Order: sequence, then C-alpha cells, then structure tokens
Amino acid sequence: MIYVKKIFIILAFFLGLAVMLMGLSFVFMPKNNMSEFGMEEVSANGILGEKENTIDVLVLGDSESYSSISPMEIWKDTGYTTYVCGTSAQPLNYTVTMLYRAFEKQTPKIVILETNTIYREVTKSSALKTKIANYFSIFQYHDRWKSLGWHDFIGKTNFTWTDDYKGYRYNSSIAPSTKKDHMRGTAVIAKIPELNIRYVEEIKSFCDENGAKLLLLSAPSTANWNYSRHNGIQNLADEIGCEYIDLNLMNDKLKIDWNTDTHDKGDHLNHSGAVKVTRYISEFLSETELLTDHRTDAEYAKWNNSLKNYESVVGKS
Amino acid sequence: MLTFSSYFSIEYLIIFLPVSIGAYAVLPQRFRRLSLLASSYLFFWAVSGKLIAYLIFSTLSVHYIGIWLSGIQDSCDRLLESSPKEQRKEIKAQYTAKQRLVVAFALLIHIGTLLILKYTPFFASNINSLFGLLKIPVTLKIPFFLMPVGISFYTLQAVSYVFDVYRRKIRADFNLLRLALFMSFFPQIMEGPICRYSDTAEQLWSAPKIRQQNLTFGTQRILFGLIKKIVIADRLNLLIKNVFAGYENYDGFVIALVAVLYTIQLYMDFSGTMDLALGTGQIFGMRLPENFQRPFFSKTISEFWKRWHITLGAWFKDYIFYPLSMSRPLKKLTSRARKRLGNHFGPLLAGAIALFCVWLCNGLWHGAGWNYIFFGMFHFALILSGNIVEPFAVSITDKLHINRSGFPYRCMQMIRTSVLVCIGELFFRAPGLKAGLAMFRKIFMDFSLASLVDGTIFELGMDKYDFIIIFISLIGIFFVSVLQERNISLREKISRKNIVIRLGVYYALILFLVIFGAYGRGYVPVDPIYAGF
Repeated sequence: MIYVKKIFIILAFFLGLAVMLMGLSFVFMPKNNMSEFGMEEVSANGILGEKENTIDVLVLGDSESYSSISPMEIWKDTGYTTYVCGTSAQPLNYTVTMLYRAFEKQTPKIVILETNTIYREVTKSSALKTKIANYFSIFQYHDRWKSLGWHDFIGKTNFTWTDDYKGYRYNSSIAPSTKKDHMRGTAVIAKIPELNIRYVEEIKSFCDENGAKLLLLSAPSTANWNYSRHNGIQNLADEIGCEYIDLNLMNDKLKIDWNTDTHDKGDHLNHSGAVKVTRYISEFLSETELLTDHRTDAEYAKWNNSLKNYESVVGKS
Repeated sequence: MLTFSSYFSIEYLIIFLPVSIGAYAVLPQRFRRLSLLASSYLFFWAVSGKLIAYLIFSTLSVHYIGIWLSGIQDSCDRLLESSPKEQRKEIKAQYTAKQRLVVAFALLIHIGTLLILKYTPFFASNINSLFGLLKIPVTLKIPFFLMPVGISFYTLQAVSYVFDVYRRKIRADFNLLRLALFMSFFPQIMEGPICRYSDTAEQLWSAPKIRQQNLTFGTQRILFGLIKKIVIADRLNLLIKNVFAGYENYDGFVIALVAVLYTIQLYMDFSGTMDLALGTGQIFGMRLPENFQRPFFSKTISEFWKRWHITLGAWFKDYIFYPLSMSRPLKKLTSRARKRLGNHFGPLLAGAIALFCVWLCNGLWHGAGWNYIFFGMFHFALILSGNIVEPFAVSITDKLHINRSGFPYRCMQMIRTSVLVCIGELFFRAPGLKAGLAMFRKIFMDFSLASLVDGTIFELGMDKYDFIIIFISLIGIFFVSVLQERNISLREKISRKNIVIRLGVYYALILFLVIFGAYGRGYVPVDPIYAGF
C-alpha cells in the first residue's frame, strides 16, 4: 500500500509538472510570428502567416537553401507557391520541426530538402532538446520572460505576418570563389551520420504519409560540396527511394559563374546565382505536372503584391 | 553510444543519472556495487572515450603498488618480530628505504603521466623562449596530448592512496573492484571532491539501499546546484567572455566589475558542480566530503582556503606541507630560527618554504601557465604576510580598542578577503599574465563610471534583466548560506512541512530553472571550469 501511495505521488508530481510546463508553454509561446513578439527565425516562420493550404512547394535546409532558391522567381515563372523554411546552420532535428510546423496549415505537394544539412552533425543532446521543446515550447522560448506582457497570459495566438521573399534571403554582393573543380570525380563515399539517416527517413515517410513528393537537392557550393558527398547522398536517395538532383554536376545547364554568382567565395550563391538555380527548379517543377498555376487565382492575389515588393528591391530580371 | 561533456548535459541529467539510480535501486545489494562501478566506467567512457585507458592503467598500477607496499610492510613486521631489539632500527630503516623506492616509483608513474600530459607544452614553450633570449638557434617542438577528463583529480586520489598505505594509515586493498570504484565513482571523478580511500572506499563498496530521505535531499541539492550553474554561472558568461576577450576596450570600472562577477561565476560553477556531485552521492547513500563551506564568509585568506576547494587544500596540507615541514632539514631550520627570531617568526621561516612549495603546486595544478603560477604566488604572499603581520594587527586593534570579534570588524575582514580573492581570480581568468597585469592596472589608471551612468554597461552582453535575475538568485543563495553558517538545515525544515509545501518547493526550483536558466539559443554554457584543471 505504501508503495502504491509512493508511486501515485511520483506520478502525480510529474503530471503536475507537465501541466505547469504546458501552461508556461502557452504563456511563453509568441502570440504572433513577428520578431517583436519574440518569434525566432522569423523569415522561415513566415509560413505560419500564409493562408491555409496555399503552399505548393516547401524548401527545407540550412543557409544553402535560402541563398539558392527564390520563391518569388518561381511564382513569377510558373505561378507555383514555394516557401523556404531554411535557417542558418539548420540541423536535421530542426528541419523535422520545421517540416511538421509547415504541414500544420499547409499541404505542399513537393518537399525539397537541400542536402548540405544532411552532413551537419546532430548531437544527441540537441536532438533530445528539440524533442522536448516540441512538446513544451517553454524550453525554446523561456528567455521571453524579459518581454512578457499581459497579452501573453490571456491572448490568443494569431500568426499574421508573412515574408514577401517567402524565406529567401537576398544578397547581391560578389566575392568570387577561388576553388576550381570542386566536383572532381571520386568513388569515395562521404559517410552520413547514422542519426541523420534516421532523420531523413523520418522526413521521407512523413512526406509519403502526407502525399508529398520528397526531392533531395544539392545547391551549388564550391566550399561545401564535393563528389564524395554527392556519392553519399546518391546512395541515401537510392536506399530511401527518392529523387536526387545535384546541381553541382549540372553547370552546363545552370551556367553558374563562380566569379560573379557567389557572395562569399563559393560558400553560398548570391542573387544572380540564385536566379539561375531557381529557373532550373521552376522548369523541374513544371515537368512534374503536379502543380497548378495560381497567378490568376484571386485567392493568391497577395503573392502578386509580394512580387511587386520583391522586385522593387531585387529589380526585374 | 551516449556521449556528454559535463554533469549539466541533458543526456546526463535525464538519461544517464536516472538510469544509473534506477539500476542501483532495483538490484540486490551484492550487485549494486557492480552497477555503480559499471555506471562509473560507462560515464568515463562517455566523457573521455578511449582515454579511459589512462584510468584503467592508473587503477591497475595503484592496486599493484598498494599490494607491493603491503608485502614489504608484512615482511618487515615478520622480520622485526623475530629479530633482536638492537637490529630492529636497522631493519626498519632498510625496509623504509625499500618502501620509499616503491612510493617514488608510484609518483613517477602517476605524477609523471600528469606532468607529461599537462605540462610538457608549457615547459617546451618556456624553454623555447629561453633559447630565444639566449639566442640559441634551437626550437623544441611543442607537443599536444589529449588528456582524460578528471586526470588531475583521480591522480591525486591515487597518490593519496599510495601515501596512506605507505604511512600505514590504511591497509592495501586487495580487491581490485573496490579500488576501481573508489578511483572512478562517477559523480566526483570529473571535478572532485578529491576523496580519501579511508573515507569513501568502504561506503561505496557497501552500496547501501536508496532511502527516501537521501533521494529527496540529494535531488534538492542537485536542483540547487543546477540553479547555481545554469541560472548564474552560464548567464554571467555573456558578459565575462566579452570583457576578458577584449579587455583593452573597457574601462577600470568594467574590469573591476567583471573581476567580481568572474569570482562569483567560478564559485557558482564549481560549488554548483559539487552540489551535483554530493547530491548524487547522497542519493546513493554516500557521504562525500564537502568542498565548500561558504568561502566568502572568510575573514582571512588562510580561512578562505579552508573553505574553498577544501579537499584540494587538505590534500596539499597532508601530502606536501606536513611532509616538508616535518622533514629533517626544515625541522633543523625551525629550531635554529626559533632561537634567533623568537617563537612567532622562527617557525614561520620553515613554514614559508613549505607554504611556497604548496602554492607553487597549487598554481600549477590549476593550469600550465604563468598566470596560474602568479595566482599561486599571490595567495602564498597573502597568507605569509597575514601570518607575519598578525601580532601587529592584534596589538594595533587592542590599542585602538577595536573589538575584533564585533560584527563591523568581522564584516570589514570578510570584505577585504573577498576583494583580495577577486584580484587573484582576475589574474586566474586573464588570458595570460601580461593581460592580467594590464587589466589590474586599468582598474586604477582608467577608472570611470561612465558606462554605469550612460547605461552602456547593459550592452556588453548582459542587459538589466540579466543583472536583476542574477541579483535575485544571489540573494537567495546568500540567505541559504547564512542559514547553513548558523547550522540551520533548510532541507530538514522543508522535509518537516506537509506534502503540498514540499512539492511546491520542487516545482518552484524546477520552474525557476526552466524559465531563468541561461540555455538554448543565444547562450553558450560555460565549460565546467574545474574539469579543465
């Protein structure tokens, strides 16, 4: 009887703790997706402010993703709606979080995963922390105690903001790459950490369950990409049964000029490089015949407004 | 495979520790000790990987040396029993010499390994500088060795074991597993406390049952330690790392403030880790030695070192200070000096030599660098000068009718001691001795309150909210410390309250930690400072 009582007290204690953490998570969760409300990674989280079920293509990955793919260019060329949920140095555990978050209100038909993130080490510690933070957002937003207001205790969550660039980060500066022939052929296969493989498998099965096609895409980068990594991703793509496009091997089509198309010596593309990559992706998306052109659809009128804002900064190409 | 870098990593706290406690709790007594040993080795493997070989080697060698010494002592005893009285002195001397050789061999292995791994780069770079000064065209290659975490701690435990066997304070342990558990007990192997075989080996091996009171008290202490480390030490890091990295850009006020904050950080980091170590030990029913006793209530630097890193101080006292001061040459020196300098200053001379050796070792133990040697010498000078001026201070205060036991005087002494400690820690943390001197100079030559007046102090890494939460936390810790100083156990008081209040205390501590902890995006936790020593 004493043991039963003790077990009951322990269970009640943890239950009480979980309830308190949930309550605090409600209070500390930003009530809007703008930085003024304490939201982190605002441009990627701008997807939360998009109208329900309006995104066709979701892009995930690290800085390579938001430097290489410009959704507004895709919209302009094809009328498909794309959102880049890439963030700086995004590890795969966070990629999975962004994927789930995006699918809460959207049903993209195509998910593009930029592959540089697959080689980013995910420590068990950060994987565990992400998992906990997914259940209790207090662990992610606890630092908001500095800016809490009454609204946080009683207000409803309402994500209203979206990014006119749809997650793309514009950079037009130029710093040429000195690295030549970064894709010299080799049979060496760069090893992907076991935990990362499991994450990619999780992404694949989630996409399958939700009727989305997963595409692995390697954006051009002389600093981050090489043939052994290509081999590693190709093997992984074959194993999980998904399409893989390595843009580093398609320069005859893309015509990336490493003297003018990068802003940090080949690490990331600049806007001119991103336009070339995005043009190729637009063609690819059209060829899939999975998506509909929304340019004349009144439901998507805001996208045309965003395009105007976007072009006012980047210029018409 | 589980890997983690400190007692504060999430894998340790929510996977490793609960699983270790759970396994220990469900196993019968004879297996509990083995589960503790397995947990300890698993922990060391998770922290140091293949470098676990050093720990295994150290344990095996110390085990063998203990048995070897014991063998010599037994032969000596047998021979003494069967020998005539007049031969006994000679036999004793012979066997003592043999034992000393064995002890020297043990020191060569253990201290030698530590010296090679930790100090070779320092010595090599200094020899290179010397060659440069003397214009000798030779440059030694500076080697780099990977060191297992905690080597400075378990090596001292190994050496104390050998010395204690040699001094017949303990019998050599023939049970390798018991000795291995003493050497590797996971809550204390990374940062101490430095345990003695006679205090801990047997209680570890007895592996008592987990009791509810131990579990609750231990958990409370762990939570308290987590708050010290994650709320205070890690938050202070935001400012401290910036100022020490670019001290040239800051005025004397900022440098002085950071010297104080770094001292607080070091205390919170180290004593917080000790709370985790001792709290964990308590859960298993073990009483590990305390390493801190409210050091900032000390009235002198001597007292400070009896309250700060107590087990290291005690180790130096037992294995360096006493053997040196009791050595024949220093005894002779003392008796000669006593005749010439009197009863107060006479013994101080020999004591000063032993004290110098202790503080040189203390400085070097903390790290291979001139700033650490300076740190040691700084405290040596303070303690020695304190001993020298003590009679004068007593006579002056008597003449001035100052009540030395009154609160204002004691308070002044505590503040003076804390200020001196902060100065020492400034040199300790500074990126080199030169930088330490430059920072110290700035406190006096470039002092300005401008950053406080215009509020830019809140833009150096910590904003006003960070300062407020640190202040509140420190008030709480001060309150607990005052109670402890008065021998009032807050935990026992809480344990007598009803369950709602008891649970409320747990919830309050956990939620305080969750909300105000400096973790996640934008925070870089401080690496366990003492684990690097």
